[in-house]
Amino acid sequence: MKLTNVRFLWASLFFCSGLAASSDDSIQVDVLAEGLDHPWGMAFISNEEILLTELSGNLRRLSNGVLNPAPIAGVPAVMYAGQGGLSEVLLDPNFAENGLLYLSFSAADTDLPKLNRLNVIQARLDDNTLVDHKTIFQSDPPRKTAAHYGARLAFLADGTLLITSGDGFNYREMAQALDNHFGKILRINSDGSVPEDNPFRNTPGALPEIWSYGHRNLQGLVIADDGTVYEHEHGPKGGDELNVIRPGDNYGWPAITYGVDYSGAMISPFTEQAGMEQPIKYWVPSIAPAGMTLYNADMFPQWKGSLLIAAMVPGDVRRIEIQDNKAVNEEVLFSEFGRIRNVAVAPDGSVILATDGANGKLIRVSAKGLNPEVPTGEVDQ
Amino acid sequence: MIKQIQAFLTSLAIATFLLVTHTTITNLIWLNSINMPVDLGVVVSSITTDLVGMNFRGAFPAIGLIFVGLLVAFVTARVISIWSGMKKTYLYALAGGVALLAIVVLMPLAFYHLDLIAGARTLAGKAYLVFAGMIAGYYFGGHPRSGGSNEIN
Repeated sequence: MKLTNVRFLWASLFFCSGLAASSDDSIQVDVLAEGLDHPWGMAFISNEEILLTELSGNLRRLSNGVLNPAPIAGVPAVMYAGQGGLSEVLLDPNFAENGLLYLSFSAADTDLPKLNRLNVIQARLDDNTLVDHKTIFQSDPPRKTAAHYGARLAFLADGTLLITSGDGFNYREMAQALDNHFGKILRINSDGSVPEDNPFRNTPGALPEIWSYGHRNLQGLVIADDGTVYEHEHGPKGGDELNVIRPGDNYGWPAITYGVDYSGAMISPFTEQAGMEQPIKYWVPSIAPAGMTLYNADMFPQWKGSLLIAAMVPGDVRRIEIQDNKAVNEEVLFSEFGRIRNVAVAPDGSVILATDGANGKLIRVSAKGLNPEVPTGEVDQ
Repeated sequence: MIKQIQAFLTSLAIATFLLVTHTTITNLIWLNSINMPVDLGVVVSSITTDLVGMNFRGAFPAIGLIFVGLLVAFVTARVISIWSGMKKTYLYALAGGVALLAIVVLMPLAFYHLDLIAGARTLAGKAYLVFAGMIAGYYFGGHPRSGGSNEIN
């Protein structure tokens, strides 16, 4: 199927999305793929080769602008329901040598099939098949709900893996307890073992994987070059947060929050409390932050050092300027594409957007004249 | 008829108040259990805020859900009462309980097992809300009907 290349004039982007700080008039927008079933995670093998997950359970490969019609084989069966399914894909830091990657997904519990867990596996990509699977994490306890998994993955510089694990919606109070994985950021080694220096490893009753706690539904996780860990999480009705994560810290949910429940009920009358960390930015009303990247490339120098956050409501990308671990400015980008599920930076510095839904698109935003000679719009599926 | 409407609105207010305050109080009990500074002022302001929030500012108004539930349940109970010899207070109490049970059971089924009423997330919470519906129904069933006998069967 030949699709029309979509190219918007920079002027329309400027006027429609309020890109006041970006005066470059040569932005190019290309649709790399469409017809994706709820795209979620992205990983770049190279500039020409992208892996992406569909929540419904497929791992897809886009090579030289062509979406391989055959999903990558060997992906474990996932529980595709509600917000659950195949979520993140992350390449091993040594992927070029070992071919290892990591997937997060929800799956039914083996002993109690009416319950489910967040799972993380390691596997090796062999041509178009995943082999040598190894489960390296399963959330505990299992849950009844199909919501708030978190499920983002990121490697720290020391080679340990961070996993975001959401509060499961119905289990929000458990985010404040250390005997479970709800509402936590977890840190493990890539083989599933627990690092010796985790903050609660020697705390009686605490699960040793826990790195930080008091979170809700964490769908953005970025490690900066200086080691700073940025995380964002969905609030309820209002109260989405952008946090700087430090090991051992309590981020307050649901004891402190800037949001209220969907029912209109208060979740907490408190927004601050000693011993609980404040976000560096929060949003009321919600923007539904669903993915994040740190822009450190040269293609758009005016964005360098900014966090780019995919916002599903109303549907745009928020560029957050950070200074001294504080959010000092917010700019709205790309508000004409609808709900944006994820945002990533390609090796060449172009920005890749994944739009949400059953007919999701992969969109590349590049600077005209600087974009790579990669064919676009050729989708064979 | 006016008395019946008054009785219905009062029973609606009873059920709504009990549902909202249950959500508020259970929440505050938990916050207190983790040493958050919950005092009388917080309790009063929280209940007030939730009475407004849950009925007028949420994605679904609690009072609207309960209105529909009790209306269907009480009309059904009225029809059943024609043939049933069951004491009306008990019959309407049962109807009120069933109305709240339907709300707390059916809502999660429609939303991936998510309990959108926070106070209904536990079995004890669901039981309490069913009991709240029974109290509302008991009040309605015990209220004299206009144009009919004031005798409570």
